[in-house]
Amino acid sequence: MPGLSRWRAAWLVMAASLAAPVAAQERPQEDRVEVFRNLPYWPGYWVAEDQTDVPISGIPVRDETTPPPRNDALGMWAAQIPWNDEGRRRVEEVSRTMGGRKSLGWGYPLMMASATPLLFLITPEHVLIINAYNEARHIYTDGRGHPPPEDLWPTVTGHSIGHWEGETLVIDTIMVRNPNEFFQGAPPLSEEAHYIERIWLDGDKLRAEMTVEDPVTLAAPWKSRLAWVRDPGFDRMLQVDWNNDRTGTDGEFNTIEPTED
Amino acid sequence: MRFQFAGAVTGVVALVAGTAQAHHSFAMFDMTKEVTVSGTVKEFQWTNPHAYIQLVAKDEQGRDVEWSMEMGAPMYLYARGWRPSSLKAGMQVRVTLNPLRNGRPGGVVRDVVTADGRQIGTNR
Repeated sequence: MPGLSRWRAAWLVMAASLAAPVAAQERPQEDRVEVFRNLPYWPGYWVAEDQTDVPISGIPVRDETTPPPRNDALGMWAAQIPWNDEGRRRVEEVSRTMGGRKSLGWGYPLMMASATPLLFLITPEHVLIINAYNEARHIYTDGRGHPPPEDLWPTVTGHSIGHWEGETLVIDTIMVRNPNEFFQGAPPLSEEAHYIERIWLDGDKLRAEMTVEDPVTLAAPWKSRLAWVRDPGFDRMLQVDWNNDRTGTDGEFNTIEPTED
Repeated sequence: MRFQFAGAVTGVVALVAGTAQAHHSFAMFDMTKEVTVSGTVKEFQWTNPHAYIQLVAKDEQGRDVEWSMEMGAPMYLYARGWRPSSLKAGMQVRVTLNPLRNGRPGGVVRDVVTADGRQIGTNR
């Protein structure tokens, strides 16, 4: 059915999900092809806008001519986070105890603005966001809602559902484990935090707006702007586990711990 | 002596952590100093969150010292032409780095060349 509008495609997705929410992935193949035809395509490997041309040191190099990045930080010291008293208490506690702490990976939300490229794999039913650390976000776009409370528990990436508003992917994420338990510099949000992202292609950049609401740690919605670009040299995704964190502390400075042998 | 300190880095290029989250602060390295170390590769760790070169070099007394040299993550090294096979145990290389502030034999790698002066990767 050539010329199927995006709204018609969205309706097909919705109708299929309403008719058989559990078997939403079993819609007729011809309908699925039409939905797929109308979805955006974001090929390539996307790095945070301020992470381009990073040399082998891993330290970005900028000079006076480098335009300022248009992506915000998502670490716990990011200036735009409106912590409440409990949030500030958590940040102070983490700051006091984080020296030498080992991380297990980036986790969500930090993986969206950290030193790793991202792959956005878009299908009619499902969007996958994958980084180079074997971390994957599963965003269900087949019309389902979040599971009932008895089927939810906190995880590193939480539970995400999504839908398309034109060319923009809107993601709704809940039940994210306190991100700071996974990465020592991540914001110590509670498991009641609710994350909304809007992601769209703007020329040769992917842009996003993220809003986090958390009744436990935030006094107001935390809004961030993110941007990613494709960097030459990234032509495949290398999956390497996060299993060699050798950053330790000597009490005054961080240091590199010796090898185990 | 197989390693030497270069003068303070005073160029116009500034080093910044950026807004994307790094694994750790770079304050652990003295960015005002560059050290060049020549030695023998003991191990190349192609690992996350950082790759490392374990290099054995002679100190001023002629004793073997093992250096731990930190690099970016494998994905970034790959994009700059590096592979797990770029360094093999026994290779002679010359590494330029910013040293650890605490004086231990380690630092963050700025450049690596083979004994005959060939650069590994593009290191843009």
